[in-house]
Amino acid sequence: MPIVRTRELRKVFRSVKRAPGALGALKTLFSREYEDKVAVSGIEMSIEAGELVGYIGPNGAGKSTTIKMLTGILVPTSGRIEVAGLVPYERRRENARNIGVVFGQRSQLYWDLPLVESFELLRAIYGIPRDRYKADLAAFVELLQMDEFLNTPVRQLSLGQRMRGDFAAAMLHDPRIIYLDEPTIGLDVVAKEAIRLFIAKINEERGTTVILTTHDLADVERLCRRIVLIDKGTLIYDGDIERIKTQYGTFRTLVVTFARPIERPSLEGAHLTETDGKTARFRFDRHRERADVLIGRVAAQYEITDVSIEEPELESIIRRIYVEGYDTGATA
Amino acid sequence: MIALPRYNLEPYVEFAKKAFAREATYRMEVFTEVGSLVLRIYLLRAVWTALYAQNAAPMNLPLHSMITYATIALLMSLILEVDGTRLIRERLRDGSIATDLMKPISVPFYFFSDGFGNTALHAALVIPSLLFALLLVHIDVPSPATLAVFFLSFAIGYFVNFLVNFTMNAVAFWTLETFALQIIVRWISDLLSGQIIPLVFVPGNIGRIVLALPFAAIYSTPLLIYVGVIPPGGWLAALGFQVLWLVVFAAAAAAIWRAASRHIVIQGG
Repeated sequence: MPIVRTRELRKVFRSVKRAPGALGALKTLFSREYEDKVAVSGIEMSIEAGELVGYIGPNGAGKSTTIKMLTGILVPTSGRIEVAGLVPYERRRENARNIGVVFGQRSQLYWDLPLVESFELLRAIYGIPRDRYKADLAAFVELLQMDEFLNTPVRQLSLGQRMRGDFAAAMLHDPRIIYLDEPTIGLDVVAKEAIRLFIAKINEERGTTVILTTHDLADVERLCRRIVLIDKGTLIYDGDIERIKTQYGTFRTLVVTFARPIERPSLEGAHLTETDGKTARFRFDRHRERADVLIGRVAAQYEITDVSIEEPELESIIRRIYVEGYDTGATA
Repeated sequence: MIALPRYNLEPYVEFAKKAFAREATYRMEVFTEVGSLVLRIYLLRAVWTALYAQNAAPMNLPLHSMITYATIALLMSLILEVDGTRLIRERLRDGSIATDLMKPISVPFYFFSDGFGNTALHAALVIPSLLFALLLVHIDVPSPATLAVFFLSFAIGYFVNFLVNFTMNAVAFWTLETFALQIIVRWISDLLSGQIIPLVFVPGNIGRIVLALPFAAIYSTPLLIYVGVIPPGGWLAALGFQVLWLVVFAAAAAAIWRAASRHIVIQGG
């Protein structure tokens, strides 16, 4: 049985229509004209316990709105939603015990308190047994390397430290599902990697179901097997990352480093995209040309010191899907 | 231990403790408060003494009772004027109410616990303030029974005060800004709560209306019990009236909260 299930989930925000200008502002004060904005439109999703799913979409696609409905703080306009057997907005407090949430742009830690006191408070809020709390906290402190700032007030923490604190805070009550909304935003590479490692570990060792919303597709590539793509509130793809990659990732890049600078290198069967004289990048369609043939050809033509082949990044694939729309029969 | 998560009070006790500790870090503010209070007691004594020199004992309230009334009112304000509902506005403004709602807690009760911890610190200041006050003025001390009823009435008034503020702040769910409303309510309540002028001085029918308003339940009722204007025979009716307002505002607060949690549109994503 799936742990998260939505059926024809829909959310429409209604706001008072505003006319421009000072006169318009006056008009707005008296008129009751409304404007409807569809944030989420008919999303069907089913996630099994223990899955690690990337929930991807451009700004304003409806990702955060969906997450808020899953947490129970936003009521859907229509459709059904079920998380661990509960309808979140009907049973907000019970649902809260099953879920953990991390927002990259908002902390749930208590600003004025030392980090460890926020954890203490969460222990009281969730009624976590003391021995389990101690053991879990010790494990998280080690895993996230938090010992040096455990007693620092949250407002004095760096972003990377705060995020690590937020992850521990979201996991202390051992939720069955954790929602991550842009958890690596603004972090440096080292901190990003630490966070990714933590996500992979809790998913693997505790079996926590993870729903990851992010703009950084490297997070998704590194962590998820399945992605759900949405755009303008509707679902456009739900499935394997690998499948989408083989379907759309037909172009590879051959990177060649020459022994001596070459003015305008050319290669039959591939298209030059970039060169600085010493290294050149050629794009080719892997259905039309074989990489080993191309390498042989370029080696025969020029004196080279190095070659490599770059796989297409998920990011460029997804960009293409948003521009062209998802087409199940796509091959070229 | 049997787990009763629904009725577990521990989180709320912790919220109150944290608020207390947080408030205690603003030491300068705390000391200034005691200082300004002592100054106000001194000024009030001078004003009432001068007024009484013109007009002896209006409404059977002799000068010493009046000074007692004014001093006790100021000591009460140490607790009642602390804005224990400030947190609601802050959490709404910066959107962090979203994370509060994602926790297995009653959010109104969380606000109350925080406000309570906040006022508890200021309540502790009543003792030094009282000692300083006694150096300046003489305060009547009523019978133990009267004192007990005063404290009971004060406690009810405390809850009425919280609920009035809560209801007012919950309007911020729709407007996101309650400053103007707060100022207006503050002016009205300063005037009509009996904190500055005993409401028994208000003449005729207007006086009767003013005494029946919810503001009177906050300051006036406990104070009039203390100075004996409300005699033991009137205690039950006075407390009953306070409880009536308590129930009305509890219902209003519950209704506005229910509507608000259905209507949530959190600012800033």
